[in-house]
Amino acid sequence: MSEPADTPLVPPSSVVLVSGGSRGLGLAIVTDLLDAGVRVAAFARTITPELEKLAAEHPDRVHVGSVDVTDLRAAQSFVREVEQRLGPIDGIVNNAAMGQDSLHAHTATDDIARIIETNLTAPLQLTRLVIRRMLAKGLRGRIVNITSICGQRGFPGLVAYSATKGGMDAATRSLARELGGRMLVNSVAPGFFASEMSAVLGPTQLDQIVRRTPTGHLTEPEEVTPVVRMLLREHTNINGQVIVVDGAAAI
Amino acid sequence: MNELSRTQIRDLMAQVLKNQDKELPADDAAQLREIGFRSLDFSELALRVEDETGEELNFDAPGLRRIATVGDVLDFLVELQHQ
Repeated sequence: MSEPADTPLVPPSSVVLVSGGSRGLGLAIVTDLLDAGVRVAAFARTITPELEKLAAEHPDRVHVGSVDVTDLRAAQSFVREVEQRLGPIDGIVNNAAMGQDSLHAHTATDDIARIIETNLTAPLQLTRLVIRRMLAKGLRGRIVNITSICGQRGFPGLVAYSATKGGMDAATRSLARELGGRMLVNSVAPGFFASEMSAVLGPTQLDQIVRRTPTGHLTEPEEVTPVVRMLLREHTNINGQVIVVDGAAAI
Repeated sequence: MNELSRTQIRDLMAQVLKNQDKELPADDAAQLREIGFRSLDFSELALRVEDETGEELNFDAPGLRRIATVGDVLDFLVELQHQ
């Protein structure tokens, strides 16, 4: 069912839900959006002092909650709270994810299931939940899925993780089609960060990636946030795309 | 639980190498790099230990990266059986 869109431009998001917003890239995204004047709802399994500080600094524009992204009920009530406090959500950043660092043959089957649940099932469920509310209210909005270069290139020790990231990139394309221009849906796929999850790759592998990167350094969260902000806020016709931010390491 | 001794694991390790026409030195301090025992050989050995004991041995990669000698391999697998 693909009909020509009779749609005006999708306005910039004004209330953005960020999953996994308590540290690393998620926290950087929350900070950056607040600086841009956006109202932000952020949840994570554990609320860090950094996120608490942001909430205290912007009491009218931030709502934070301790929610495990795989707990759909908790996510649902968080979304309701957000709507009451900040207004209807018209932007989502699916950022929460868990990493992996184990060869596929030696990864426990429970761990594979947990990675898929956290990184693929949960963001699809959260997206469904929010777009249902947006569609019901006739809202237009933006969706940004934070994926990874692993969705397109192979790295040992990251098999299940890569499958989930490639899965989200594929979902991005189909969702962009399905939402018929009412919402702009894109992925941002960072290369490896010096910190956080890419502790997974080990110093030798990271050195090798740096050597192969034309810009000569691993990606920093602050190099990714402007791209996320653009996709949420600027008038572009970018839709259904995966934007890689990795200094051309994978080219 | 049916647990393999260090000596039994050493025998399995020798078999893995023998299949590639390589020899396992008697010295535990021998460097894996020098005898040509690579990470997928470690996987093969771990799976052979699993076959013998009937217990899955799952582990993360960081521990694997610290393994440099024959003794490290044996220690790692002895320890892993206790987890």
